[in-house]
Amino acid sequence: MTNTLEAPAPAAERSEDLKAPKQKRGADGIRTPGWLYVVMAVGLFLVVVPFIWMVVSSFKPEAEVRAIPPTWLPQDVTTENYDQLFTRLDFPTYFLNSAIVALAVTLGNVVFCSMLGYALAKLEFPGKRVLFALVLGTLMVPGVVTFVPLFVLTTNLGLTNTLPGMILPFLAGPFGVFLMRQYILGLPDELIQAARVDGAGELTIFARVIMPLCGPAVATLGVLTFLASWNNFLWPLVVATSEDKFTLPVALALYAVGQNATQYGLLLAGSVVVVIPVLVVFLLLQRFIMQGVAMTGIK
Amino acid sequence: MSRQARQPGIVDPTRRGQAVAGWILASPFVVLFLVFTAGPVLASLGMSFTDMRSTDMRTPFAVQFVGLDNYVDLVQDPLFRKVTLNTLLYLVLGVPLTMGIALAVAVGLNGLSRSRGFFRVGFYLPVVTSIVAVSVVWKYILRDEGGLLNAALGWVGIDGPAWLDSTTTALPSLVVMAAWRNFGTLMVIFLAGLQTVPREQVEAAEVDGASGWSRFRFITLPALRPVLLFGAVITGIGYLQFFEEAFVMTKGGPLDSTRSVTFFTFDQFGYGNYGYAAAASYLLFLAIVLLTFFQFRLLRTKD
Amino acid sequence: MNRTTITLVGLATAASLAFTACGRSDDAGAGGEEQGEAITDGKATGTIEVWAMGTEGEKLGDFVEDFEDANPDATVKVTAVPWESAHDKISTAIAAGEGPDVSLIGTTWMGEFAEAGGLMPTPEGLVDEADYFPGAWQSTEVGGTSYGVPWYVETRVLFYRKDLAKKAGWSDAPTSWDDLKQFAKDLESKGGAKYGLNLQPGQTGSWQSYLPFAWTDGATLTNEEGTEYTIDSPEMAQALDYYTSYFDDGLSMTRTLDPGELESGFADGTFGSFISGPWHTGLVEEAGLDESDYAVAPLPGKDEGMGTSFVGGGDLAVFQDSDNPESAWKFVQWLSEPEVQQDFYDEVGDLPAVQAAWESGELSTDPQLKIFGEQLGQAQSPPAVPTWEQVAASIDGLVEQASRGDLSGEDAVKQMQSDAQSIGTGL
Repeated sequence: MTNTLEAPAPAAERSEDLKAPKQKRGADGIRTPGWLYVVMAVGLFLVVVPFIWMVVSSFKPEAEVRAIPPTWLPQDVTTENYDQLFTRLDFPTYFLNSAIVALAVTLGNVVFCSMLGYALAKLEFPGKRVLFALVLGTLMVPGVVTFVPLFVLTTNLGLTNTLPGMILPFLAGPFGVFLMRQYILGLPDELIQAARVDGAGELTIFARVIMPLCGPAVATLGVLTFLASWNNFLWPLVVATSEDKFTLPVALALYAVGQNATQYGLLLAGSVVVVIPVLVVFLLLQRFIMQGVAMTGIK
Repeated sequence: MSRQARQPGIVDPTRRGQAVAGWILASPFVVLFLVFTAGPVLASLGMSFTDMRSTDMRTPFAVQFVGLDNYVDLVQDPLFRKVTLNTLLYLVLGVPLTMGIALAVAVGLNGLSRSRGFFRVGFYLPVVTSIVAVSVVWKYILRDEGGLLNAALGWVGIDGPAWLDSTTTALPSLVVMAAWRNFGTLMVIFLAGLQTVPREQVEAAEVDGASGWSRFRFITLPALRPVLLFGAVITGIGYLQFFEEAFVMTKGGPLDSTRSVTFFTFDQFGYGNYGYAAAASYLLFLAIVLLTFFQFRLLRTKD
Repeated sequence: MNRTTITLVGLATAASLAFTACGRSDDAGAGGEEQGEAITDGKATGTIEVWAMGTEGEKLGDFVEDFEDANPDATVKVTAVPWESAHDKISTAIAAGEGPDVSLIGTTWMGEFAEAGGLMPTPEGLVDEADYFPGAWQSTEVGGTSYGVPWYVETRVLFYRKDLAKKAGWSDAPTSWDDLKQFAKDLESKGGAKYGLNLQPGQTGSWQSYLPFAWTDGATLTNEEGTEYTIDSPEMAQALDYYTSYFDDGLSMTRTLDPGELESGFADGTFGSFISGPWHTGLVEEAGLDESDYAVAPLPGKDEGMGTSFVGGGDLAVFQDSDNPESAWKFVQWLSEPEVQQDFYDEVGDLPAVQAAWESGELSTDPQLKIFGEQLGQAQSPPAVPTWEQVAASIDGLVEQASRGDLSGEDAVKQMQSDAQSIGTGL
């Protein structure tokens, strides 16, 4: 394929080369005003406070967590919540189950939704509009509705108490299709035309031309899907009938929430631990979200 | 869409190839979708036309077909009407607020030249913080006596109301909390979209002396249209279904002022009134369809 | 209409039409069934799958070793299930015909699951009804047939600050409604409490606070057979007026509490007294109180003596779909033996449902536990009907309105009756 189709170096780097060392520019190419930092910092602080409280409080004994008014720094620093978390619960098993399910669902969604999203955005084929309407329609159906029929279906397929039973219903998510379609709509048709003129087949165009440009969308979809799947509670709860198939949120609810009293300390410690993989995924993928799609040279 | 196909009399030579490729690309999704999504969705549609209860689950076909009775009962149910109003209010207040905050933060982030990653993660944290932690802190903020907000208002001489205990302020308080909690997701999506804004145009405009605001209005916003539509649609869909915040903070009170349609449906499923609950959720579905249709009309890209 | 729309409408219609072939037959789901056939003698065999929630679920696994020793051919497999969603899990299991052999079931869920055809009627002669606290046994009876047996119980009593009460001139707990009122007033004026008695002003679960007063006044929720609601009665209305008078007089707070607020408030003297169950002894002590600072007492009767309280807890039931019902019932029988009930109390802290288990050990000597034991002798449970959750929610909503002064006791009770009637019993 010709050189014009290789994406030029990310715009941020180019810009810095040309303009360094004088003015620092943001990703939008404009000089950053000083007041922007102040505003963002204040906003950030306000936003982050509950998270900090959650982490700090996971090191408090149960009685202090429940104290009204709530305390900030722990009066008694303790790791008892974390001790309980790792000793009472069979942590490695639950973590592994959650990881397998979340990764499978994320990968599946990224692949399948990109495929269909591209087809809906740039290709003409019979039944395209019905399909899009169906997809969009199911996006709008409240989840709680499908629950019971889905469970009966899962049982009939012999998938209860299996990890595939927790994965399959979520592999085809309408949200992902919608996201990829909207994103790909914004990519120029000329790229595809040029590739066709060069004799590339349709599927090759999808894999070699379009997908490399979808970095930000794929990263976004990946993060959001991972988050949703990792925190998914109700479905794994109902599907898993033996403890060795529980995922992390299910196990946490089991041990922390009793009939009459909730162990908030344990719940907070568990919430902190549950959040970490999501943050890791987010940190890993976020640079791709910001990856500039260079548009120059194409017009 | 291929421009060639629009010219009359000329059939796009790649049309066949496109059709084949289209279905190949679509097939994995379609199969999974039909089995695990479309099937159950249609089954519960059917359920909404019966008087099915949880106690009938073992003999699901031994229920009475009642036609539109469930729907008629719903429309006449004063509680259902109330929760519908609550939900609409939540939507009208919540979507602009959340989108506004997310867009402002995304644009702000995009304009920073350093520490972007740090800020990004920070702003995303509310989305991943457990609802338990969120609710404890926000209850503390909103408490009448000794709460942070009323304490701050007290410094400037305002006597703040009991935010979560009053039927007039409970719902708006939850809207603000929801906007705080959810803007991170939209922010991430808008950030991705901002990367498609043509930089040379922006830089050229700056050189020409255009102000930040007019750069935003005439270059950034139009380029963001598809992404904004997406953001509006998913936020609208999400907020029409709001549930979790009310469930954890106020349990639908006081006096059902924070009870949403989804909360109502959840309750009905809990009582075992499956047919009635399914009908309620399909009414919600209708509302969502209408809203989305309206939003598409408003913000559609010409394609 | 374009093709897309036509296709979609067609799909939807087809799906709905499939359901026109349905029809409900007239057999009753539950109730009116005979008790099961007596189980045979002999040891249990095979695998017995058990679901239990919360702490019970965690501890049961090890606890059953004695049963397995006595029944060498049997293995008990315990799966712990979170309380939060146990209800959904059990009901979907019943729907799909897939479930355990035995499960712990919340007392207020029995009606629904029995009606769904998920539970087996208790076999004749398995246990003697008279062995149990009457209120507990009531929770297993759906439409006149008993499904399962009570396992453990809890009931509500009056918790009060002994030290503040003394300061206010009360050396013993109040024993009548008038006394209780005065008690609360004195705790405020002389004891220094901000609220004399904490009652729940509506919202989820407030029926558990309000109904004891109604029952104490002699009100009943349904008729003898359990077929009709009898909520609209002068006793119900009077009890509700008495209940809401605490809010009117400022003796009770009108907003619902946050988690942890009750224990903290009790410990620092904001609340002089409140009504709750056995789990709160641990909570108030964790909040900083010593056993000598507070005491528990039975609920006061209307004019004198002991009032009627609410009894809840957990029942054990065997599932219709069980592959191993005989052994499952034997396991249930074993858990109901007085010594085993006592041992389980020692292990988990759940109060035994079998009365004989209270006759020795800590349950017969500890002064706090004795109060709970006393109260259990006079406690009721709500009707075990499938629609109870919904009826309870309507009661909660009306109690909330009455507590805020929006409705009089009489009007609220009338509305409760009409709501309950339209909801029906579900049987």
